[in-house]
Amino acid sequence: MILFEEVSKIYDGKHAALKQVDFHLKQGEMAFLTGHSGSGKSTLLKLISLMERPTTGRIVLNGNDISHIKGDNIAYLRRHIGMIFQDHRLLMHRSVLENVGLPLLIEGYSRYEIKRRSLAALEKVGLTGKENYAPIHLSGGEQQRVGIARAIINQPPLLLADEPTGNLDPKLSLEILNLFESLNEFGMSVLIATHDLGLIAKMRYRTLTLKDGNMINDGLMRERNGE
Amino acid sequence: MANNIKNKKILSGSPRITKISFLGRVSATLHQHVQQFFNSFSDLWKTPFATLMTVLVLGLALSLPSVFHLMYKNAERIAGQWDGASEISLFLKKDISEKQIQVLINKLAIYPDIESVTYISRHQALQEFKELSLFSTALDYLDENPLPAVLVVVPVKSAMTAAGSKLLAGKLKRLEKQGIDLVRVDLDWIEKLQAIVVLLVDIVIGIAVLLLLSVLLIVSNTIRLNILNQREEIEVLKLVGATNRFIQLPYLYIGAWYGLLGGGIAWVLTLVMVTWLHSGIMSLMGLYQLQFEIALLNFQEVVTLLAIATALGFIASYISVKQYLVKIEPK
Repeated sequence: MILFEEVSKIYDGKHAALKQVDFHLKQGEMAFLTGHSGSGKSTLLKLISLMERPTTGRIVLNGNDISHIKGDNIAYLRRHIGMIFQDHRLLMHRSVLENVGLPLLIEGYSRYEIKRRSLAALEKVGLTGKENYAPIHLSGGEQQRVGIARAIINQPPLLLADEPTGNLDPKLSLEILNLFESLNEFGMSVLIATHDLGLIAKMRYRTLTLKDGNMINDGLMRERNGE
Repeated sequence: MANNIKNKKILSGSPRITKISFLGRVSATLHQHVQQFFNSFSDLWKTPFATLMTVLVLGLALSLPSVFHLMYKNAERIAGQWDGASEISLFLKKDISEKQIQVLINKLAIYPDIESVTYISRHQALQEFKELSLFSTALDYLDENPLPAVLVVVPVKSAMTAAGSKLLAGKLKRLEKQGIDLVRVDLDWIEKLQAIVVLLVDIVIGIAVLLLLSVLLIVSNTIRLNILNQREEIEVLKLVGATNRFIQLPYLYIGAWYGLLGGGIAWVLTLVMVTWLHSGIMSLMGLYQLQFEIALLNFQEVVTLLAIATALGFIASYISVKQYLVKIEPK
């Protein structure tokens, strides 16, 4: 699904955010991406979602080299990726239903189909009955779930989540991770960037660890801790 | 871990579980255009004061070229009326006989650029003068008729211009030996009027170009501010897969709406200004004894005004969109 080959990202010609990173996330695989703040987690996710371009190296997504993709192809490719952000990135003056239905609106689905699938996605994240609310009137956790519903509504083969549990209490964090797990059960590849090691330890998934832009570990957290 | 993956139902490379047919896409695109067209109109009124101000400024800017156009159109009509009255008067010598006059009339009839010749005898001239002037009693005391006989020459239509009349008057002056005392054609004021009309056209074109440029700048700047205010929304739309084409559509429609509404206001302002000036113009025309009705913008001109205004709004918006929207990328 995702292949990184010696990918480096250097900002302003001096600050190296990623250094010669190699990894391969298979189709249908779920993995955690961890590391301290500034280790390069967000840069790696931005490279996959084409918000940034690699300085050197090659990124292959679903068999296609996306390192130098341009124009509308960026938009079409992003439709294949569900993205969840720590700051939710919701449109505050639009309703929850409108926010969730955005990817379908862009793809040209009918209003009826958008509403039907948006309500289904909201049900999946436990927000039934909140469809007409403005996101600003929802709690941080609820806003995060609106973001998740928007990311999964067009059932993308790849889901990227940047600190999805950052603002949530432990119980809600676990619920969100269980939701990712269930999406992964249906074959969606999931890559979750988090620095919550406790949460990672509770789940038996591959963990990619970054430090100062280097991939320093790739394996199971429990295995690495010798458990 | 590998087994874990193998046991899962793998999604295909395409994100769409339900594929949309080509016809479905075309219908959805049309639906999107119609929806964006009307949504952009209602979006305008989310900030009614700002929209009203912008539209009024556009209306003012567009109304001036429109009023100038009307002025030019009416001035041309007036000039046309006066141009058509460019008769040439041939004042005959007092001692010329009726026979000589008849010979002269016959000679003039041969000229290809003369439509007709009307003879006004000295007696007829005196009678007309008595009727038109307030000196009828005083004229009775004169020993002899001081007025000469006149031949009024009307040129053919093709020669009924300032230049044509001047040329014909030149030819007629050569007939002085055959009893013509004075050839008179009052061309000065026609030439002056035509020069004023030409100057007016140049001024109108210059001012119109400047004002239309200002319309471009006003709409372009308004759209630029809209784009910058909605930067966050644009970033989110791009993140969820919107193309530039999809994002720019509402802005293009908003630009076109601004233009159309500004054009409508320009039309109304033109009507108001013409109505306001109507009595003054009619009094002026009365002084020149001219029967004149002010021409307003006809249907074709109104449609042209609205079309130009809408196109300007659209173009200005397109410039802004290309300049600013495409540069916004999610961070």
